[in-house]
Amino acid sequence: MKKLWDALKGPIAGVLLSLAVSAALLAFLGESPFVLLEALQSTLFTSFGLGYTLFYATPLIFTGLAVAVCFHCGLFNIGAEGQLYLGSIGIVIIGSLFPNLPGILALVLGISAAFLFGGLWGGLAGLLKAKRGSHEVIVTILLNFVGIALVNYLILYPLRNRTVQNPETLEVTAPYFLPTLSDAFGLFESTPVNLALFLAVLTAVGAFFFLFRTAWGYELRAVGACNRASEFAGISVGRNMMLAMFLGGGLAGMVGVNEVMGHQHKLVEGFSPQYGFTGIAVALLARNHPIGILLSAVLFGALHNSAREIEFLSDKVSKELSLVLQGLIIAFVASHYLFEHTLKRRKKEAA
Amino acid sequence: MIELLASSIRLATPLLFASMGGLLCERAGVATICLEGVMLTSAWTAAVVNYYTHNAWLAVTVALWVGALTMGIHAFLTISAKADQIISGVVVNFLAAGITPLLTNAIFGAPTNTPSIPLTDRFHNLEIWGLSAIPGLGKILFSHPPLIYIALLLPFAVHFAVYRTGFGLRLLASGDGPEALRTAGVSPGRVRYAALLIGGALTSLGGTFLSISHTSQFTRDMTAGRGFIALTALIFGKWRPVPTFFACLFFGFADALQIQLQSTKVFGIQFPVQFIQALPYLVTLVVLVGFIGKAIPPLSIGKRLG
Repeated sequence: MKKLWDALKGPIAGVLLSLAVSAALLAFLGESPFVLLEALQSTLFTSFGLGYTLFYATPLIFTGLAVAVCFHCGLFNIGAEGQLYLGSIGIVIIGSLFPNLPGILALVLGISAAFLFGGLWGGLAGLLKAKRGSHEVIVTILLNFVGIALVNYLILYPLRNRTVQNPETLEVTAPYFLPTLSDAFGLFESTPVNLALFLAVLTAVGAFFFLFRTAWGYELRAVGACNRASEFAGISVGRNMMLAMFLGGGLAGMVGVNEVMGHQHKLVEGFSPQYGFTGIAVALLARNHPIGILLSAVLFGALHNSAREIEFLSDKVSKELSLVLQGLIIAFVASHYLFEHTLKRRKKEAA
Repeated sequence: MIELLASSIRLATPLLFASMGGLLCERAGVATICLEGVMLTSAWTAAVVNYYTHNAWLAVTVALWVGALTMGIHAFLTISAKADQIISGVVVNFLAAGITPLLTNAIFGAPTNTPSIPLTDRFHNLEIWGLSAIPGLGKILFSHPPLIYIALLLPFAVHFAVYRTGFGLRLLASGDGPEALRTAGVSPGRVRYAALLIGGALTSLGGTFLSISHTSQFTRDMTAGRGFIALTALIFGKWRPVPTFFACLFFGFADALQIQLQSTKVFGIQFPVQFIQALPYLVTLVVLVGFIGKAIPPLSIGKRLG
């Protein structure tokens, strides 16, 4: 119990401090400082609000894991944004190639396509890191721009639905649909939260077992902890880096399962409100622990949902408030040294 | 062709400012992926100050301070709070991307852009006497607004400051061997603070150029990855000012080419605009992967001070 509290107290303090700072910011912008708390309450404690929160949390679980798995291998994956677009278009491509598959086969194929397309895009950065030593931070950022441009091209030309004005692809066929929780169980009113949420939770549990209970996961973490030592121990650093980036990209690609198979049934240009970048905040707040990511994704889903609600209600605050919140939360969590150091010094002085 | 080269110089300018600012930070031993965020806050500040005061040089000055302040957050997080340098950079980028549209919305009623600055209040082209009349070259090099001349001279000034002054010596020591610096009685933390504040101010000029010289307003996310391209230019130039200068010119050329290709046909084919827009990033990527070879960063970069 004490161990759990020790792990949780830092992130909790970080979140509370960030909420306090953003309340001050809201007051500065001429809005009531309590509007964020009110919004958080309705996005977490009403069934409609919670439905949307969980709908936003689903992709964040995937992108949070995408960042965390790479982090365990000592790599910083800022490319989840591009990878998730590649994964999403993968579903649409497979869906339009094989429209008439029996139900379960279509679901398996769709999910695999999302993982594989995202994984190859992420793996490309891993390959360049391992073979050419190119810094993965810059490579993944550049691949974001290139990947999103490529997907936009596919949306606008070969896969475009030409009967509508909006830039979007043709719909996938019914076998690829994942039912919403409201259709399947009558939960969360008419919100788009769907079975991809369960897939996300299962994936997080799977990631936990992979990282902490298998030899592959152990090797991957060993490379992250010290790649020279692991090389001497006979672990291939390059291969593990490629594996981590492939898995990271694949996990980010799974966002498409929520968006395409669970919700829109097509890919709309620019659908992601930066799920990939928010994944960085999700992973850091959870200190890269897969189970912690489940909690942290729900929190960031709620914050994103709240910021949208505030934008709707207030003419003084726009939805970019959630970017500031994310920045603050990462800042406070990342500077935990400062707090711990100061506390220790206080204790020493007191003694 | 002359227009293409002149446009390359214009598009290289924000990269020059940002990569020279980044050079000071990274040579001092602090990884700086937040050039993007520093350019955003200063671009916003410059646009707003220029709009309200009708004074472009005042806008440049205020934005300098805001740039230094934004990089100051990075300095505080990495040096005082001992946060990871990459993560701190992400923080600054997040905060800048969030706060600029929030303030735009609070002041002007919409988060997308600030109002356009009237032509009379903006920077004008400064024809260098005599030289701008040279056919071809005059148009490429000597007929630009003032910030561009500063950008073109800056790498040589930075070269002098880094390799020929006492401050430069301490800067290099802070990046390659902070322990040695400490033994000599100089605090590497202080040197890093100084380097980051000055670097932030230099980077701010890139943002300022974008919002009040290259265009006439701040638009949301107007830096569009230029901070990262500047960072690649820095790596391409192996963290040395003059080679970085040429890398920036090259990336500026790729961007200019991209804009020209949008309106012209190549071998009778009009390429889709999405591919053309991705060209500068693709070129940057290919250069980074294919031609840089082994780039050795300042030795202590990414490491916390003990």
